[in-house]
Amino acid sequence: MQTKKKFNLLWVAWILILPALLIRGFTTVYPIFETFRISLYDIRLFKGIIEFVGFQNYVTVFKDPKVIASVKFTVIFVLSSMALHIVLGIILALILNMNFKGRKFLRTIVLIPWAMPMVVVGIAARWAFDNDYGLVNDFIRWFVPNFKLSWLIYTNSSRLAVIAMDLWKDIPFFAILVLAGLQFIPEEIYEAARVDGAGPIQSFFKITLPLITKNVLILSIFFTMWRLVSFDIVYSMTSGGPGEDTALIAYRITTEAFTNLNLGYGATLAVVLFLVMVLFSSITLLWVKKIDY
Amino acid sequence: MLNVSLIFKWLLAFIVVFIILFPLYWIFTSSITPPGELFSSPIDYLPDHPTLSSYLYLIQHVGLMEKVGSTLIVVGSSVIISTMICILAAYGFARYQSKGLTVALMFILFSMLIPAVVTARPLYDFMRKINLFDTYPGLIILYTSSIIPFSVLILKNFLSDIPASIEEAAEIDGASLIQRLVYIVIPLMRPAIATVVIINFITCLNNFFIPLFYANNILVLSTAIVQLPLKGSLHIVQWDLVSAMGWVIIFPIIIFILIFEKQIMSGIMAGSVKN
Repeated sequence: MQTKKKFNLLWVAWILILPALLIRGFTTVYPIFETFRISLYDIRLFKGIIEFVGFQNYVTVFKDPKVIASVKFTVIFVLSSMALHIVLGIILALILNMNFKGRKFLRTIVLIPWAMPMVVVGIAARWAFDNDYGLVNDFIRWFVPNFKLSWLIYTNSSRLAVIAMDLWKDIPFFAILVLAGLQFIPEEIYEAARVDGAGPIQSFFKITLPLITKNVLILSIFFTMWRLVSFDIVYSMTSGGPGEDTALIAYRITTEAFTNLNLGYGATLAVVLFLVMVLFSSITLLWVKKIDY
Repeated sequence: MLNVSLIFKWLLAFIVVFIILFPLYWIFTSSITPPGELFSSPIDYLPDHPTLSSYLYLIQHVGLMEKVGSTLIVVGSSVIISTMICILAAYGFARYQSKGLTVALMFILFSMLIPAVVTARPLYDFMRKINLFDTYPGLIILYTSSIIPFSVLILKNFLSDIPASIEEAAEIDGASLIQRLVYIVIPLMRPAIATVVIINFITCLNNFFIPLFYANNILVLSTAIVQLPLKGSLHIVQWDLVSAMGWVIIFPIIIFILIFEKQIMSGIMAGSVKN
């Protein structure tokens, strides 16, 4: 009797979760298997080619200069953006945690970049980094008259611009999440430190930083993964240019899959990216779990 | 001494606010500057002849209202549908226990890590095959799917913290599952539901990937801004129109944040702490 009731109850639970499960399954499980499958084919819709080639695509991919360029910028983008996210994010979190009258207002303002679509940021940045009429150069000219630079035409400056916009949009979000951790640190610890003669800088490095390290590391893992699949920013800001110099890997994948209609190849890149992400996340998450305080 | 630190705090706050708000202010002034006067250097931050002509142009020639309408249909339906689905799922996960259910929950949460770009092309072909490409139901399904993991996480965690004793009492009194959900569980979950609805609304408004790849003729605001009419044979982007469109998107978001700052903050933090 008891077991039968339990069985009945479980049946109800499955009905309850079924819609959520079905929709998620339909939009993720089927397509990911399909991506794996077509990565083994040479499919070029423009030429009408559909041919099974095994792992040939996986060999070609790593010799493709466009892919190498994409991977190179993706690595630069992720590493520099993340380093600055961590440093500036923690600083901004400390600013948000300051005890003064403007605190609530400040926290509200900081939500705005997070809540804006990246496309709007990107397309505005296209104009903001314009040599003659852009906001950025205009601002620089307040201090350096006659400053001239067509940011998005040159490799280094366009990369810098893309990273800068990524930081503008996402550091506030990072900082809010760091702030969540900061708020758990009891005020008494700081008071005790002050009594013992520790200055604010000392208490930051000796108290605050160790206490938020784990939180920041976990955040960084998620933020790194989001950067690895960033697409909107270069789509709207640089279209991958100049040349392929700001074509992030996610942008490269969609170009192959939707513009060049080179489906097998695009799928191969997608699988490689997916495997990199799975590897990265499982290794780092395991590593973070081991850190204990 | 005290004053110095106070001035320092306000100075820092001012720098942060300036970095965030000044570009937005610039987009706004650009949107009310007549197109001819936009090409000026140094930039005129107080336009001499403010005009709403760019906004009018968007309404009359670009179909702004229609785009606002389709955005509201897609985003509104997705938020409503996903919230209902996720309340049910959260109840299932929070009040019942089995190995299978744990696996299902793990699947929903970890599927968050599958990037849209990896599944994009097969999903596109599949949507075409079943005739959901470029349709409202198709978009709504995809938007709904994209916000399910976050919603389930927040709602389930919230519900797990509420003891089941009230529901059990109601069950003894003969209330059916649906009655318990409608009269007891949903009212109890109101704060969590509000948070999820608000954050999902923003997430959906910001979604660019789904409408870009799974729709052609249905333009929501985020895709409409990259498809504004270009000028002349050089296909020059018309910054006056872009900035007006940008401000149309930004303005409601700012208002929304001012109203719901508290819920948004708690939602973001709840999501992170439980992770």
